[in-house]
Parts: sequence; C-alpha cells; structure tokens
Amino acid sequence: MDLGDLIEQDAILPALKANSKKQVLQDLAQKAAELTGLAERDIFETVLQREKLGSTGVGNGIAIPHGKLEGIDRIFGVFARLAKPVEFDALDEQPVDLVFLLLAPESAGADHLKALSKVARLLRNPDTVEKIRSSRAASALYAVMTQSASRAA
Amino acid sequence: MLDTLYVVILIGTGLILLAAFSSLLAFRFGAPILLVFLSIGLVAGVDGFGLDFDNPPLAYFIGSLALAIILFDSGFGTSLQSFRHAAAPALTLATVGVLLTTALFAAAAVLLLDLSWLQGALLGSIVGSTDAAAVFFLLRIGGINIRERVRATLEIESGSNDPMAIFLAIALVELLRSGSGFEAMDWNFLIQFAKQLGIGGVLGLVGGWMILQLVNRLSLERGLTPIFTIALSLLVFSVTGALGGSGFLAVYVAGLLTGNSHIRSATSIRRFQEGMSWLAQIVMFLVLGLLATPSQFAAIALPAVGLAFFLIFIARPLAIWFCLLPFRFSRNETAFISWVGLRGAVSILLAILPIIGGIDSERVFFNTAFIIVLVSLLMQGWTIGFMARRLGLIVPPRIGPVEKLELELPGTAHHELLSYRVVAGSPVARGQRLPRWARPSLVVRDGKSMRLQYAGRLQENDYVYLFISSRYPRLLDRLFASPVPFEPDDAEFFGEFTVEPGRPARLLAESYGIDLGNVTPETTVAELMVERLGGHAEYGDRVAVGSVELIVRDTDDAGEIAEVGLSLTPDTKPTLPLFHNFRDIVSVLRQTPKRRRKVEASKAKEPPSLLLTPPVAESHRDGDGDGKPM
Repeated sequence: MDLGDLIEQDAILPALKANSKKQVLQDLAQKAAELTGLAERDIFETVLQREKLGSTGVGNGIAIPHGKLEGIDRIFGVFARLAKPVEFDALDEQPVDLVFLLLAPESAGADHLKALSKVARLLRNPDTVEKIRSSRAASALYAVMTQSASRAA
Repeated sequence: MLDTLYVVILIGTGLILLAAFSSLLAFRFGAPILLVFLSIGLVAGVDGFGLDFDNPPLAYFIGSLALAIILFDSGFGTSLQSFRHAAAPALTLATVGVLLTTALFAAAAVLLLDLSWLQGALLGSIVGSTDAAAVFFLLRIGGINIRERVRATLEIESGSNDPMAIFLAIALVELLRSGSGFEAMDWNFLIQFAKQLGIGGVLGLVGGWMILQLVNRLSLERGLTPIFTIALSLLVFSVTGALGGSGFLAVYVAGLLTGNSHIRSATSIRRFQEGMSWLAQIVMFLVLGLLATPSQFAAIALPAVGLAFFLIFIARPLAIWFCLLPFRFSRNETAFISWVGLRGAVSILLAILPIIGGIDSERVFFNTAFIIVLVSLLMQGWTIGFMARRLGLIVPPRIGPVEKLELELPGTAHHELLSYRVVAGSPVARGQRLPRWARPSLVVRDGKSMRLQYAGRLQENDYVYLFISSRYPRLLDRLFASPVPFEPDDAEFFGEFTVEPGRPARLLAESYGIDLGNVTPETTVAELMVERLGGHAEYGDRVAVGSVELIVRDTDDAGEIAEVGLSLTPDTKPTLPLFHNFRDIVSVLRQTPKRRRKVEASKAKEPPSLLLTPPVAESHRDGDGDGKPM
C-alpha cells in the first residue's frame, strides 16, 4: 500500500495555526470537507466521536484522529503540521504538532485498519518525523511522506 | 585425622567459592548458572581432577535437604495473589502434566533403551518434573519480563510438581524391587498417593501456621529469627516425611503460607533464605556433579540425547498442550510454557533412587537422566530469553527504575519505612504532590536533613524518608520512578492507539465497524475485556475483539484496568500453527465455513475501486507483508 493513495498534496497544511485540540480538528475537518465535498459538520462529529473513546494522540507529538463516515468514496487523509503544538490529551502528555486525519467509508473494513496502521507506523519512524518537522512546504512534506512510506513498504 | 578434616573443608569451600565466583562469568555470558555449578562438580569429580565421591545415599540425603530449603524459599517468595490466578493451570500441569509426560516418555524409553514398561515409566517419572531452582532462577534473575500469569504458572508448576514426580519415582522403585509388574499397581497405589499429598498438604498448612505463631510470639534475638524459621521448616519437612506424607509438598505449602502472612522480620528472613537457597543450589549441583562418572556417558549418550529431544520437542509440548486446553493461554504462551520445561537437580536426585534401591547397578537410569538434564539446561536454559522475545511475550517495563530502600520495623508492624531518592524526570521531581498518606517524615538535601515544610518542593537527588502502610508501596513507586522512555517498540506490543477503559464498548464498534457480539449499550471497554478474560485482567493481557485487539496497558492499585491499548493489525505477530486452546479450536471450526463464504461473496461482487488490497480474508492472512521486524 502506498501512502500516496491515502493523501494528496492539496490535503497537506504545512503551518496550521490553532490554539486547541478542538480547533485543530475543526480546521482539518474544514479542509477535508473542501476536498471531498462532504459536510464539515459530519466529518467533525465523526472524528469527535472517536476521540470520546480515547485521545488519538499516540505520543511524541503525533496525533492520528480518524473515523468512518457515509458518503465518502475512498480512504482519505489530511495532514497538518501545526505552527505551535497544542494539548491533545496524548498518552505521554506531550503537546501535539503533527496531525494526520484519516477518514474512511463505512464499507472499508480491514482496509481502514490497515491504512491507519500504515500511517501510525510511518509516523513512528524517528527519521521520518524529524524530516517532516524540518520541512516547510506542502510539496516537501508530501515528498517525505510518500517516499518514506514506499521505502518502508 | 585432623589433617583430613582440613583437607575436606578446604576442598569443599574451594568448590563453593569457585561456584560463587563462576556466577559472575555466567551472568556475563548468559549461560545457565546451574549448568556451570554442575560442570564444576563434573570437572572436579572422578574423571576430572579425580575427586572420588561415590556415595549415592549421602548424595541423596544432601540433595533432599537442599531441595527442602529451596522449596521453602520458593513458596516463601510466591505471592498468594499470583498463586490464585495461576493455581488451576499450574496444578493441572503439576499433576496430570507430570503423569502424561511420564507416560509418553516411558514409551520412547522402552523403544530406545530396550527397557521394560515399568522401567521406562520409572525413567519417565525421574525426568517428569521441572526444576524449581532452574525455572525461578532463569525467569527472575534472567530479567525476562513476561506476562504475570505465564510466569506464575511456570513458577508454581515447577514448585509443586516435584512431590508428584518424587512419589511416582519412589513407588516405581518399590515395585521394581519387589519384582512385580504393573499388575501390582492397584487401588493401594492411589491410596498411597492421596495419603502422601493429603498429609503433605495438611501438615504444610499446620506447620506454616506453627512457624508463624512461634516466630511472631517468641521474642528471639533478631539474628536468630531466620535460623529459627529455616530450622522449623526442616522440622515440618521431616515430621511430614516420617508420618508418611510428602515432605516436599509440606515445606512448599508452609513457605507459601508464611511468606504471605505478616511474619516478623520478613525482610531479614527473606534475605537469609535467599542466601541459603543459593548455597543449597550450589551444594546440590556440586554433589550431583561429583557423583556422576562422565566416562560412562559415552555408552549411553546417543539414546539419551534422543530421549532428551523427545522429551523437549514431543512429550512435554503434548502434555502441556493437553493440560492447558481449557485455560486461556495464547498459542505462543503455551509454546513458551512447554519450552520452559527445564529439568534440573530434582531429576538427578531422583535418579539416585534406583541406585540406592539396587536396581540400577549399570547406572543406566542415572546416566541417562544426567544427560537429559544437561541437554535440557544447555538447550532450553540458554534460549529462554531468545524464545520469549521471538514469541513476542516480553512485556515492556511498567514503570521506570526506582531508587528505594526498605527498612524493617520491629514486630509485625503494618507500616514500612521507605527511603526514596528523587530521580530526574520522576513525577515528584516534576512537581506532582504526594498524597496525604505519604507525607515524608524527613527530607535529606545536600547532606542536610529537614522536615518537609522547610524543604518545600522536592528536588532532584533529595532523599525522602516516609512511613506508609504496607498496602501502598506500589502506588508510591510510581511517583518516584524515572519516566519510562516512550519506545516506538511499545506500539508493537500495546498497539497503535489507546482507548479509555471507562467508555462504552459500542463506541469501538461504531468507530471500527467491529461486531462485538451481544453486549449491552452500557458495557464499558473495561467490562468487556474483563468478561472476555474470564473475570480478571492483568497488565499485558490481550483480548481479540473482531479484527482488532485490546491490550491492558496498565492496571490501578485495585487491579482494575486503567489504560487500554488498541492494536489494529494484531495478525502481524507470528503465531505458531500449534497449541490451539479450546477457544481457538472453536473459532477455527466456526471460521472456516464463514471465511469461505466471505471469499466467495467478495469474488462474486466486483471489488470497489477504493479497495487497496485483496479481499478481507486474504489481507487478514498475509498481515501487512512489509517485513516489519517483530
């Protein structure tokens, strides 16, 4: 599986300014709505529902909010590098500055889980994460993510 | 006369010193230390430096005494809590497991060594039990951090299967001596067995209670208390044996009882026991090594090694698998339990019995048992850590290292005096407040002592002294522990995400499209897990829910689930195609037709364009296929 299938360059926000977890999720939902044509509110509610189960902050400043929803036609990712880290109730209590939102159709089943696992593994690699943190442009971020992912594959 | 006295003491102490010294080397190279002790005995013995020790009855006497000391200590160090969780599987292994291993092994021995069935059964019972000393040692000192239930099962099995094997061996030697065959095994045999275990168990409890009362009531000189305790334990051992019960079972039970009650000067007793246990192991292995005659091994080496392989790869795995069927162990855990079937001193000790009984003049039993023990220690002992890692059973450490000192209070006080050093990055150093019940009595900063109100916030390198009830130390350790580094590897064990244990489980179903079966809408994640785990959850436990897995990341002081990990692709871990438990078998039987239907169904309808991978059943089996290290 290639990460290029999950995310496109337009869906990368290289310096998102947000002050809270809620605002981050709202901004990501807005971007996803813009690109998929779904209602922003639906996306936000879906992701929020998952956060109720426990924060998707996985540690080391990384969060991977996700959810399944009707109407989307494929697994779809939005990535944001935050200008300033925000509190995300993460496992290690560290504020989060890299957020990968992953949305999947209701029917995706095992593919949803595999895509999520793929993203989690990509962002677990310290080298990749360092490169992402030192990149400024959306194109550079896109390149780092797709290249690292295909190398790991 | 006096000269020989000194010479004997010189040689004896020299060997013990050598053994103690060799432990340093063993730790460095990871060799099973007991093997080293045994080798020293062999090298010093008749075929090495020529120490001619050939007194089987004396060796048996020394060995039994040493074993009693070791068993009392193993009981003393086993917490009743872990005993309760692992008692059922462990005791099944210790009884049915020993019988099964013995029977399977007997068949192979009859074939390979040309023995009669009765003789084969005797050899089987000799190597039927796992060695408490070896198992305890390799699991605890080897620093192998595995799931509590697996560790406790192995430890309790090894502590409690000796009486079974000893009884079988003695009974079979008696049968062989009397010249009768299996037909002489009648109800009397079973009654004998019940009597041994019954008297052993009851006298163990009575004896343990007596030890407690005597130690707690008499105000003995402090230095004498541990000696008094160990002498009493040997009293329990000998009285039980004399009355026709299993003395080994009795000391183990007595140790379990005393170790889990409020006994006076528990710390110094524990330390003394630890030392005695070491000494007993060294002496036992040295003596048994000395008794052996390696030059005789060659004659029997081939079939003996063959039998050792049979025991390790066929007899024990089969017996373990059968015994653990009804218990919820994962396949890899069952595999690990069968791998940690270490044979040790007990087997060699029991192999002396046929010599004493006069039915092993050629020393076939003794030499075969000895070789089997050597192979087991070499092969299994050396690879336990490797196996545990390979099977993915190593549990990440729960809290970081703590620097603490426990001081003993007089009498049976229910409080402990603890001293902690505040380490960098620990919760207290980062400003977390100590709970009311843990206010330090004294703070020592830069060599100056002060009360807490003058010390203000605790700083790195402060020493803190506090009195707390003995119920709480675990919670407190956490506050003083260095932070656990957040390792990327942890995600391999605990899964990619976390879940709040108190949230409704149906949220899981909604977010991941999992079929939870019939759960009520109010059921929380923790409740679901506890139910699936059979009523008790423990750190590192895993519960498969649909295609994901929930893992207990942490439990609180009351034993409730405090943190839960979520693994999305649990299938990437290698599992053996062996050792299915009942649940597995049922699920395999159920899944086969379902899967087939699913595959057919997905073949029938055109896969939608969003599918990045082959149909469900397929993607499930091949894992992720990206060569992730385990």
